[in-house]
Amino acid sequence: MEKNEAFDLEAMFDRLHNRREFLQLLGRGLGYGALATLLPACGGGSTNATDDDAPPIAPTIPKPDPEYTVLKRSSFGPHRDELASIRTLGIDAYLEQQLDHLAIDESALEAEIALRFPLTLKTPPELLAGFPDNIFDVATQMIAAAQYRQMFSRRQLFEIMVEFWSDHFNIQLVNGLGPTLKPLDDRAVIRAHALGNFRELLHASAKSTAMLFYLDNFFNQAIAPNENYARELMELHTLGVDGGYTENDVKEVARCFTGWTLRLPGDPLGDYGDYVFVQAIHDDQPKAVLGNAILGGDQSDGEQVLDILAAHPATANFIATKLCRRFIGDRPPQAAIDAVANAFTTSHGDIKNTLRALFATAAFVDSGDHKFTRPSEYLAALVRALAPDTPRVPYPPAKSQFWFYAQSILGQLPFYWPTPDGYPDLQSYWASTGGLLNRWRLSFLSFAGIIPGVDVIQVDYAAMLNGADTINGIVDAIIDAVLMRPLNGDDRALIVQWLEGELGAGADEELTTAPPELAAALIAAVLVSSAYFHLR
Amino acid sequence: MTTANKIAAHPTIPGDRDILVCIFQRGAADGLNAVVPYFDGDYYTQRGSIAVVAPTGSGDPRYLTPEYALHPALLPLKPIFDGNDLALVHATGMPHQIRSHFSAQNLVERGVVEKTGPITGWLGRHLALSPPASSSAFRAISISGNVPVTLSGAVEPLAIDKLDDFGFEQDILDSGYPQVLANLFHGGVPFAGPANAALAAMGELQAADLASITPDNGAVYPNSPLGTRLLQAAQLIKSVLPVEVVCIDSDGWDHHESLPTYIALSLSDLALSLKAFYDDIGAGLGTGTGMDRVTVLVYTEFGRRIAKNGSDGTDHGTASLAYLMGGGVNGGQVISDWPGLVIDPDIPATEDLQITTDLRTVITELLNKRLGGTDVGMVFPGFAGPHSADAFWP
Repeated sequence: MEKNEAFDLEAMFDRLHNRREFLQLLGRGLGYGALATLLPACGGGSTNATDDDAPPIAPTIPKPDPEYTVLKRSSFGPHRDELASIRTLGIDAYLEQQLDHLAIDESALEAEIALRFPLTLKTPPELLAGFPDNIFDVATQMIAAAQYRQMFSRRQLFEIMVEFWSDHFNIQLVNGLGPTLKPLDDRAVIRAHALGNFRELLHASAKSTAMLFYLDNFFNQAIAPNENYARELMELHTLGVDGGYTENDVKEVARCFTGWTLRLPGDPLGDYGDYVFVQAIHDDQPKAVLGNAILGGDQSDGEQVLDILAAHPATANFIATKLCRRFIGDRPPQAAIDAVANAFTTSHGDIKNTLRALFATAAFVDSGDHKFTRPSEYLAALVRALAPDTPRVPYPPAKSQFWFYAQSILGQLPFYWPTPDGYPDLQSYWASTGGLLNRWRLSFLSFAGIIPGVDVIQVDYAAMLNGADTINGIVDAIIDAVLMRPLNGDDRALIVQWLEGELGAGADEELTTAPPELAAALIAAVLVSSAYFHLR
Repeated sequence: MTTANKIAAHPTIPGDRDILVCIFQRGAADGLNAVVPYFDGDYYTQRGSIAVVAPTGSGDPRYLTPEYALHPALLPLKPIFDGNDLALVHATGMPHQIRSHFSAQNLVERGVVEKTGPITGWLGRHLALSPPASSSAFRAISISGNVPVTLSGAVEPLAIDKLDDFGFEQDILDSGYPQVLANLFHGGVPFAGPANAALAAMGELQAADLASITPDNGAVYPNSPLGTRLLQAAQLIKSVLPVEVVCIDSDGWDHHESLPTYIALSLSDLALSLKAFYDDIGAGLGTGTGMDRVTVLVYTEFGRRIAKNGSDGTDHGTASLAYLMGGGVNGGQVISDWPGLVIDPDIPATEDLQITTDLRTVITELLNKRLGGTDVGMVFPGFAGPHSADAFWP
C-alpha cells in the first residue's frame, strides 16, 4: 500500500483563527523554501467509512433551483457567469458543452500553467536530473496547478472527472521516485483519458510507471511475485472488493503482471521512467484468471487481464456506483446505478456516454443538497463565489502557497492521500468537528476584499452591493451574489438581527456606523460557513 | 503494579471505568518480526534474510520468555513489560478472512467478521450502551481530522487533530459569529450534529487550557504523528475534561518491501511513543489520573504472511500482534496459543500465521473488566466467546 512517509504539519496556520493575524498572513506571503520542512500529511487511511453509514438527509432549508444544483455538482462551485449561462442554455445544452471539453478554449489558462508551474510539464528524465532537491517544488507546483485549474478552468466538468480519476487511480506523489513520475501520469493517463474510454484509461494506468512504482509492480517477477498491484487492480481499479474474485485470482493476476516494470535510473537501454516489459522475469506459464485461461506467456497476459476486467459486469457496477456517489449522493438509488452501469457496458466504457446516462437520471437533479462538498470543492467555491472575476486578472504566483496551506489544513491536498483508495467521498468522513472548524476559519477569507494590499483574492463588494446601504438591502445583495440560492426566512432574520446588534443600526436605516463593505464581509463569512454553502 | 483492583477515584469519570486509548495500526502490521517466536525454527526457515535474530539468552534485554523476544526497536517497552503493565497477545486478530486493507479495517472497526451486521463501530456501540458521565462533548474523541468507524454509533464523537488550536480567538468570539452559526445549524440541517459539537468543544477546550499541560516525569514524545497524538491524549487525560475514549491512528505499516528497514522505524516510533505516554501519565497510584486508570490497546486489521516475498517484505496475511498496556493489564506475559509456522503448499491458509486468540476475546474482557462492563451480544454480535484471556485484572 503506502510507503512510510511522515511529515509534520507545522503550525504555519496556527493563527488562522485570529481574524487580524489571518489577514496579515494572507498579505505576507510565505517563502517556498519554508515548505521543505513543512509539507503536511493528508489523511492516511485514518478512517474507513462504510458505504452506507450516512444518515438519511431531510434538509429543512429551501431547495436551490435545478440549474444551481447541476452547477454545484458538475463544477468546483457556481460562478455567476456560469449560472447565467446554464439558465440561458438549459441544463442539457450546458452539460453537452461541458462534455465537449476540447471545444472550450483554455489555451490562455494552459499558458499560465506552463509559465507558473513548469515542473508539471517535465519528463521523468528531466525531473530525475533535479531529484531529490526538486521534490518539494514538484509537489507544490503539481498541487498549485491542480488548484488553479479547479478554481479557474472553464472546463469544470473535465476537472471534476480529473479529480475523480486521480482518486480512483490514486498515486501518492511524495513517495520514493514518485515526484519524477507522477507528473507524467497526471498528463498522459489521468488528464488524457478523463473524458475518454475507461478501457484505454485502465491500460494507460497499468503501464504508468508512477503506478508500477507506487504499487510495487516493478518488483514483481516470476521467481518472487509481489501481489500489491494485482490486488488493488481488482479491488480498487475495476471489480470492487465484492466483485467476485478470489485470493487465487490475486495470485494469478500477479503472475500475469510479472515483468511489467520501468527503466530505472542509469539503465543504458532506455530513458528513465519509460515503461518496459521484461520477458526474462515474466512468468510465462499458463494462468487462470476469473475462469479465463491466460496462455500468451508474454506481455499479452497482463493486457488480456485488463481487457477481461474492463469488460466485466462487476467493473461496470463498481464504476457506476462510484460515479453516482460522486454526482448524486452517498447512498445513490439503485435505479440510477443500474442505468449508469448499463450505459458503461453498452458503450464499452465510453466515459462521456456513461456520464450522459447519469445526468439523465431523475436523481441527478432531484437530490440537491444530498452531498457534502469535499474540501477541494469548498475552497474553489469560495474563490468562485467571492471573487468571480479573479480568473480574469493575474493570479499572484506567490499566493498559490496560500491555497496549498488552506487545502492542507482541510485535509485534501491533491496527490497527498497515502493509500491507493483515494480521498473518501462520504459526508461521514468530511463533516467532522475538526473539518468544520477549519472551514469556518477559512470563511474569513471573505474579509480579503476590504483590507488594502491583501490580494490572495480580490473581493469587490461594491459591485455586489450595487448601492445597497441598509442592512436588509446588504443582506439580500450578498445572499444573491455569494450564495446564489434562497435562504429560509428564519435564517435570514437571524442574520439581520445579529447585524443590527453588531453594527448598532436598524435593518432599514441607511447604515452609517460601518462601511457597507464591512457588513457585506461579515454576512459573506456567515453565509459561506452555513449548510447552504457546504451542501451540493 | 501487579495487584488487582487498584482503581482510585478519577475526578471526572465513573469509578468503574478506565480511560481507553485505542491505537489502530493502519496497513496490517507484522507481528512476527515485532515479538519474535525465536523458539520456532520454522520462523528462521521462512523469514530467511529478514528474520530477527534470537536473543543471546535470558540476560539479553530483548528476552521476554523462553519462546519470545522483542524486536530491538521495541526495547523501550521492556521496562513496562518487566513491571507487568504490558501484555503482548500473539497470533491474534478477528477471523474475517479478508486481505483488503480497506475492507478488513472496516470489519475490524465494526467488530464483525462478515460484511453483514451492524455498520456502527464496536466501540461506538459500547459507548451507546453505557451512560455518559456528563454532558461534555469530550466523552469520545479521535485525535485526527475525521471520526473513525470504530466510534460510529456513539453520540457525536469529536475528531480534532490539533487540540490546542481548536477554536476562534477573542475578536471573532466577540463578534457573535459563533452564536449565529449555532443558530443557523438548527435541527434538520444535515450536519448540525458535528457543527454543534464543534461549537461546544471550543468552549470546553478554552476552559481546559491544554497548552498549559506539559509532559510530566521527563517524558519525551517522538516528533512523529503518533507521538504528537499520544502527547495530546495525555494532555486530555490530565485535564479536567471527562474524556473516556481516545482513538488514535498509527499509519504506514504496510511493508511489502524492505521490511527490516521500515518496520524498525515504525516499531521504534511506536515504542518511544508508548513509553513517553506511560511515563507522562505516570504510575499515579491513588491520584486517580495515573496508568491505573488508563488502558491502551494497540491492534491492526490483519497480519503478514509467514514467508518473505521477493522484495524483502511480506504480503497480506492473517494473524498479528496486539499490545495491552496499563495498570489494569495482567502484564509481563506473552498471551499466545502458538499455532506453529509450518506451511503446507497444498493448503493456502497455512501461508499465514493462524489466529488462535480471537481479538474479540481480548476486547470483551477489556470492556468487562476495565470499562464498567458491556453487552457482548451488542458489541460483537455473533461472537460466541471465549470472553476472557486472563489479560486484565478485574
